[in-house]
Amino acid sequence: MATASNSFISLAQSLPPRLKTFLARYPPLSILPPGAALAPSKALTFYQRETPNPFLPRKHPVTGKWHDPKYSLRRQAELVKLAREHGVEELLPYTEKGTETKLAKRVEFGLRVKGTGQGERVKGHKHERTLVGKMEKRRKAMIEMPELIREWKKVGKRSWSKFPR
Amino acid sequence: MAKKAKSRVIIVRLLSMAQTGYFYTFTRPRVGIPMSMIKYDPIVRRRVLFLEQKRKGK
Repeated sequence: MATASNSFISLAQSLPPRLKTFLARYPPLSILPPGAALAPSKALTFYQRETPNPFLPRKHPVTGKWHDPKYSLRRQAELVKLAREHGVEELLPYTEKGTETKLAKRVEFGLRVKGTGQGERVKGHKHERTLVGKMEKRRKAMIEMPELIREWKKVGKRSWSKFPR
Repeated sequence: MAKKAKSRVIIVRLLSMAQTGYFYTFTRPRVGIPMSMIKYDPIVRRRVLFLEQKRKGK
């Protein structure tokens, strides 16, 4: 038992202060002394009682309003990176930025680009959406152009009456 | 108050009939006939018919 806690202490001393503070505030059950597992609610820190998982948004029990996670996604990612470098990622609570979640997403979606799949389309800019119709209109007008010019020459510009809006 | 006198010449816009939206701008006497001419449209790179656009508003 003593050896286990000793190894935890030496591990904690090697961690950067940022991770150390986080683990002091949100310690996982696995690194608490064995008695804690029997009465988990008593072993919780003040921070843990407030937010069991500081990486997830939480509905306030009284007001029913959603509160943002204590740690922003950016800070979560930073903590995960830091923890991974020191080999203690499994001590962090569940987060979307965790390696496992990210790998699962990569397996599910692969290198998919959104909007390129079956039945999906990218909205695009307005000029891109209207381009086909515009070119078609222009092409038709150019086909009719010699006829229009012939008619215009026949009628004469003095008596021509069809002007565009 | 007396209205401002209308100018003798007006500025008109000659619109390409190739439906490109390209136009030339000219001035002509207000009392003259509407303008129309064959001119170059750089978007379709051809000489096409340009007709005076009907004036809007006012």
